[in-house]
Amino acid sequence: MQQQEIHSFLLNYFKANDCPIIENKPGYLTVQLTIELDKALMNRPFYWHYLEKTGGIPNPMKLTFITNQKAAPENMRGEIIHFGSPRLHQIFESTKNLASYIRLYENHQNGTSQTPLMPWLCMNVKISYQCDRKRDIFKSIGLQLINGQMVVDFHDRLQKIPLTPKIPDYSFTLSPLVKPKSGMSRIENYLKSMIEDDDHSWADEARKRWEQDLRLLDHFYEDAEEESESYETEKQALKEQYEPKINISFINGGLFYLTEKAI
Amino acid sequence: MSVEIEFDSSWQDDFLHRIDNDGPWGNWELFKLAIGVEKHLVIPEFEGLQAPNHLANLTPLPHQLETAKQVIENMNGKAILADEVGLGKTIEAGLILKEYMIRGLVKKVLILVPASLVTQWAIELNSKFFIPAITQRKSYVWEQCDVVVSSIDTAKRNPHRDIIYQQDYDLIIIDEAHKLKNNKTKNYEFVQNLKKKFCLLLTATPIQNRIEEIFNLVSLLKPGHLGSETAFYEKYKRDSRSLNDDEHLKELVNKVMIRNRRADTGIEWTKRHVETIPIEFTQPEKELYMSITDLKSEGDWVQTSSFSVMTLQREACSSREAVFYTLKNMLQKKENPTQAFEEQIQYLIKKVEAVQQNSKAEKALELIQKVNDKVIIFTEYRATQLYLQWYLKQHGISSVPFRGGFKRGKKDWMRELFQKHAQVLIATEAGGEGINLQFCNHIINFDLPWNPMRLEQRIGRIHRLGQEKDVMIYNFAIKNTVEEHILKLLYEKIHLFEKVIGELDDILTKLEFGNIEDHLIDIFGQSASEGEMRIKMENLSSMIEFAESMKKGDSHAAAGNS
Repeated sequence: MQQQEIHSFLLNYFKANDCPIIENKPGYLTVQLTIELDKALMNRPFYWHYLEKTGGIPNPMKLTFITNQKAAPENMRGEIIHFGSPRLHQIFESTKNLASYIRLYENHQNGTSQTPLMPWLCMNVKISYQCDRKRDIFKSIGLQLINGQMVVDFHDRLQKIPLTPKIPDYSFTLSPLVKPKSGMSRIENYLKSMIEDDDHSWADEARKRWEQDLRLLDHFYEDAEEESESYETEKQALKEQYEPKINISFINGGLFYLTEKAI
Repeated sequence: MSVEIEFDSSWQDDFLHRIDNDGPWGNWELFKLAIGVEKHLVIPEFEGLQAPNHLANLTPLPHQLETAKQVIENMNGKAILADEVGLGKTIEAGLILKEYMIRGLVKKVLILVPASLVTQWAIELNSKFFIPAITQRKSYVWEQCDVVVSSIDTAKRNPHRDIIYQQDYDLIIIDEAHKLKNNKTKNYEFVQNLKKKFCLLLTATPIQNRIEEIFNLVSLLKPGHLGSETAFYEKYKRDSRSLNDDEHLKELVNKVMIRNRRADTGIEWTKRHVETIPIEFTQPEKELYMSITDLKSEGDWVQTSSFSVMTLQREACSSREAVFYTLKNMLQKKENPTQAFEEQIQYLIKKVEAVQQNSKAEKALELIQKVNDKVIIFTEYRATQLYLQWYLKQHGISSVPFRGGFKRGKKDWMRELFQKHAQVLIATEAGGEGINLQFCNHIINFDLPWNPMRLEQRIGRIHRLGQEKDVMIYNFAIKNTVEEHILKLLYEKIHLFEKVIGELDDILTKLEFGNIEDHLIDIFGQSASEGEMRIKMENLSSMIEFAESMKKGDSHAAAGNS
């Protein structure tokens, strides 16, 4: 993420959370937090607890983020934000938590003709291949809940479609033939079979490294007469270090009602 | 394909629940932002380093980045980082730790360092790496904090020990790991029983001594890498120094050890200037020294211990206070001292009392005034340290003491005082390791340690990355004493002070004749005459020269990185 990207990310994040933007100049950004965001970001539960008990007037904080020290005025006070800063990662976390589930309708321009909207189940996931190393794959899958059509890169396709949280006039949704619950397991199965087709030499190599170290370990302890505790500990450590695993973790997802030709 | 796939289904119920209840639903903008974030955080390759992109306050040097990459990609996260002093092992360890944290492979981390470095480690991890490392102060810290920095001496004691063994650490970092070379110690046993998924051992002097130490250190990191204990010692003699001669062993060690040298890093280092300052005893000082030297040939008690005569000789070259302290101790510790013994001690104490001035201290004062900048004085003796502090104060010079035995907080405080308020820091040997004082560039070696590595450690406190000025080293030596002999050997014969630590390491491991310090004790303690002593010194220095020339022959191949 470049500094400019970080700046616009922060701006979008605070706008989306209804925080008044007090200043937005090259190199820095000042925002007025809402009560909700103050609670989520500022880590001062005692203040909020006290306020709620005493019924005082809430005074959420103002924050200034400096995204480019060269462009911001000198002596500017604020938090310097870059890709590694803990604050940014806290906001990343908050972003994910605030929008895990969604339901949207296509805001079509079909005028007064009655328009049917197809239900789509969307799941965005991160697949991690993990041994003593790790790599991730982002996947966005869409499943049409009537005919069972499966679409990859679904999130990218959604970008071209105008969406709204309220069902537009003269529209009606078709009831899914595939229940969301079984839709989810279809996606799960699809992901698993996709993973199975992938190249997994990384896992074989990790197992080789594991076996190799295990052989050394056995050799090291072969003179020991009784079962040694540290041997078991080391053995466990090797398992944790090398054992290949694949994790599919959920980022977010939801229901989208789209016109027939949308996707 | 046989890899188990873990599918996170915890969200499904929540989702179905919201479908049934018609919400609440998230905001589309935030939803899109979350995907954007995730796409930035996804790490598409097993290889490469992500950490540098996260570290705005740090520009790692090429050798540090290379080391981090090596450890993660080729050493599977278990390594001995053995760079020469001052090349930034902490930075390398920080890079590796950060990389693992970014990739989500490491969460819970235990960092064991010398007490004097605990605060410094925590500050560096926080400020340079944005890693929320906590210094251990309360016992609940072990459980509640993910990244904890502690001294090994605290950690190994209960209740901490038991709590630590219950934690599931992903990465363990141990600084100054050469202290774990002996597998009979409590510290060794404590570390051995820790679960080490990923592990970094940091040391500047890994192959300083015997092959046994290498075996212990490597076996701590990766048991079996050098074979089992019996198999190893069948193959290599326990006290042999043949590490460099055995290609196979060298190769094995290099698989788990990275050693960068100053010369290879291509970094411009500031220079070292070494000045020997010969000092004349005053008459009473000379008499004290002579009467100690005379002990060698008389008395029953000294025969048993040529070592204590030598200690007294060396102390006489430092301060009368140091001599007095030792004499007093000898008297107290001796059970049923003979009359002759007591008389001898009393005689020496008289000689001590006759000494009214300290020629070295006077010289030091003169030098400090001339330098007019921050100065570190190293002495081997606490009594000298106390004396010097008093003496400098008499002449209006502020100083702070520094000892290995200080508690962590006190060490930090003393360092801070020295940096901000005092002109002089007076450190004893034990205080030599484990603090970084690169804001200072003058060292006075008030007396000399006989172990060359210790000397290097002293200089390493100030001659490290971050030192911007040339480093001045002043060696004090009293004429016509053991001290002068030592200095002649270390300085004039083997040009010790101009060497950097790596070279010295190589040379000392090439020497298959044991510890230099032992040799010196032998030479000064057992020689019957000046002549014998001179011949033995000549022998030692020509052996060192020989080792040096051998080393030049095979250049950097010795113990180099594979």
